[in-house]
Amino acid sequence: MLDYLYDGTFEGILTCIYHHYYTGKASGIFPQGEYQPTLLADFMEVETDSFKATAVYEAIEKKISSYDLRRIYKAYLSCDHDKEMKILRYVELGFRQGASVSMLHGNPVVFDIQSIEKKINVETERMLQFVRFSVMDGDVLYSRIEPDNDVLELLHTHFCDRFRNDPFIIHDFRRRKALIAYQNRWYISEFDDSDIPEPSEEEQSYRLLWKNYFDNISIKERTNPRCQKNFMPVRYWKHLTEMNTI
Amino acid sequence: MEAMMEKLKILADSAKYDVSCSSSGAGRHNNGKIGSAHAAGICHSWGADGRCISLLKVLFTNKCVYNCEYCVNRRTNDFPRASFEPDELARLTIEFYRRNYIEGLFLSSAVEVSPDYTAERILESLQLLRYKYGFAGYIHAKIIPGVSPELLHQIGLVADRLSVNIEMPTSKSLELLAPQKKPNEIFAPMRQITNSLIERNALKGPGTMFRGQQLNTAENYLGAGRQLNIAGNYPVTGGHKSSMAGSTAVARVRTDKSFAPAGQTTQMIIGAGGETDQSILTTSENLYRTFKMKRVYYSAYIPVVESPVLPGKNTAPPLAREHRIYQADWLLRFYGFTVNELFNKDNANLDPDLDPKVTWALRNLDQFPVEVNKASYGMLMRVPGIGAVSARRIIRQRRIAAVSFDDLKKMGVVIKRARYFLTCGGRYYGQRSFDPETIRNAILQMESGLQLSMFDNDWNRLEEGEKQEKLAQNGLI
Repeated sequence: MLDYLYDGTFEGILTCIYHHYYTGKASGIFPQGEYQPTLLADFMEVETDSFKATAVYEAIEKKISSYDLRRIYKAYLSCDHDKEMKILRYVELGFRQGASVSMLHGNPVVFDIQSIEKKINVETERMLQFVRFSVMDGDVLYSRIEPDNDVLELLHTHFCDRFRNDPFIIHDFRRRKALIAYQNRWYISEFDDSDIPEPSEEEQSYRLLWKNYFDNISIKERTNPRCQKNFMPVRYWKHLTEMNTI
Repeated sequence: MEAMMEKLKILADSAKYDVSCSSSGAGRHNNGKIGSAHAAGICHSWGADGRCISLLKVLFTNKCVYNCEYCVNRRTNDFPRASFEPDELARLTIEFYRRNYIEGLFLSSAVEVSPDYTAERILESLQLLRYKYGFAGYIHAKIIPGVSPELLHQIGLVADRLSVNIEMPTSKSLELLAPQKKPNEIFAPMRQITNSLIERNALKGPGTMFRGQQLNTAENYLGAGRQLNIAGNYPVTGGHKSSMAGSTAVARVRTDKSFAPAGQTTQMIIGAGGETDQSILTTSENLYRTFKMKRVYYSAYIPVVESPVLPGKNTAPPLAREHRIYQADWLLRFYGFTVNELFNKDNANLDPDLDPKVTWALRNLDQFPVEVNKASYGMLMRVPGIGAVSARRIIRQRRIAAVSFDDLKKMGVVIKRARYFLTCGGRYYGQRSFDPETIRNAILQMESGLQLSMFDNDWNRLEEGEKQEKLAQNGLI
């Protein structure tokens, strides 16, 4: 029994997979700091190694497929507690099965990754829906989000294209980082509350107009709060302008 | 700001009975200053009624010269009235859009002065939005019956989607309830939109109804002399014999300007006239087949005004009926069904207790059970509890490994419904007796607790892709 501890990066997981094959079979892979040692298993702190990570990265791309590589990366962004082992098992199966691994829909290993990927896709789409910008001083757009999964970097394609000429910041509040972009260039950086610009003068008026529109567009004869919450889970309401403007 | 607040309130309030809020059907990168169109559409919020909010849906004005019986904006209704100025509307759209509140604008209007006068104001707003503000997001424009072809054309060049409301499922109810709207004035713009799309080789049709077929041909071109097949519900003909009729080629328009790339839709009211479900869906099917519309929307009639020819003011909107009709509409567009299959001579209405796919399967048990490892995609789609996503997964896995009964659940099949209609490796997993009554009772028993939550899923407001996924998973179809 050998547990691997890694630094929380994607390269870290790939390095653990390398050790799984060349050092000893992994009984578990855990982020450092979250690990509780037990009497049953030895553990090893794995130092992330770009050579080893690249070897695994390329093996996945060649022996499985680039589609599955992307899938695995999405799984890495998940908040699933067992994602590391789910990824490892999928890679193992993929090395045996080749590019057709994703076609084994009934296989529990494939099902695990499929379910994680689906959650990531759903939450990414929710961010496209529920990001609410405020126009700040200097015409900077600022938005605060708290997604369950670390989907921030999956948002740049959509927003960079759409708001090409507006500088914008999407701030993942809990992970203390932000996607910062302007004119199709973007980066992700550490970000704190003290970095937030001040709202512009007009901002409050447009919030009120939107709230006013939101209240007036629903048909009272059809009121259905359960349906509303199904599509717009309450945990996202905290950062929705229409739910927080009085 | 105070004045704007009041105006927005009035003009949103007047627009809310328009059903469509979809922003799907057009995929476009930012080719202006701000905005893009997401092919599957994006819903940004859900109102207290559980309906999605994707577009800023407002009327340009609610001052109306018409007096349609069912309409909240009818001339004789004593009611606050307002109009936007084209520039203030364009600016509001941009300000909402950059805050990611909306995907774009859905602009409709009451008929102020005349259809052309109103259309000119709509066109002015949309052109400002597109050209002055460089807006590349989604625009849905409502076309008012009776508008001149030239104005319609200009609006089509700036809009993504156009819709002309048919309002009622039959010409008889239309005559009774909206006497100022003439069937010919409704169908003329519909025809023009379809033809313009054919000329641009851009007609796509609803759902997967015409998958693999070439739609942009002379046969589909709707010449003015051609008898429009809207069944007995809407007997309509045009005046002149078209030069296109009988010719084999369509004159293509060479242009880089797209015309309504997201196609056209329409909307009708359910439960205001005395139509049967069969009659309603027959009209829809003919709209799909004739105009190749993307969608027909249905709205349960809500009594907003007192009228001697309409259901009384305390009538509850027929939401359950609307729900079943939407389910049947999905069967037409995505599942390869025809209206005739869904009804028989004893039943001109859908079964309120069971979804129309189950009803159909129970009437056609001779085609079941289906072996999942052998059945065609088309037949899998007809199994209750299997949707497009799970059918595709079954077909994919079949190429490399047999599908077992345990696999089905992981693929997204709704087992509790599907089990009665299929076999896996030759084995049947339903109850012992394979007859319609037994299966019907088993499904009803299981669903009695589920009915309520089904209504919560107001799935007809979802975007196309999302919908398919949800339908398959919830086994609504």
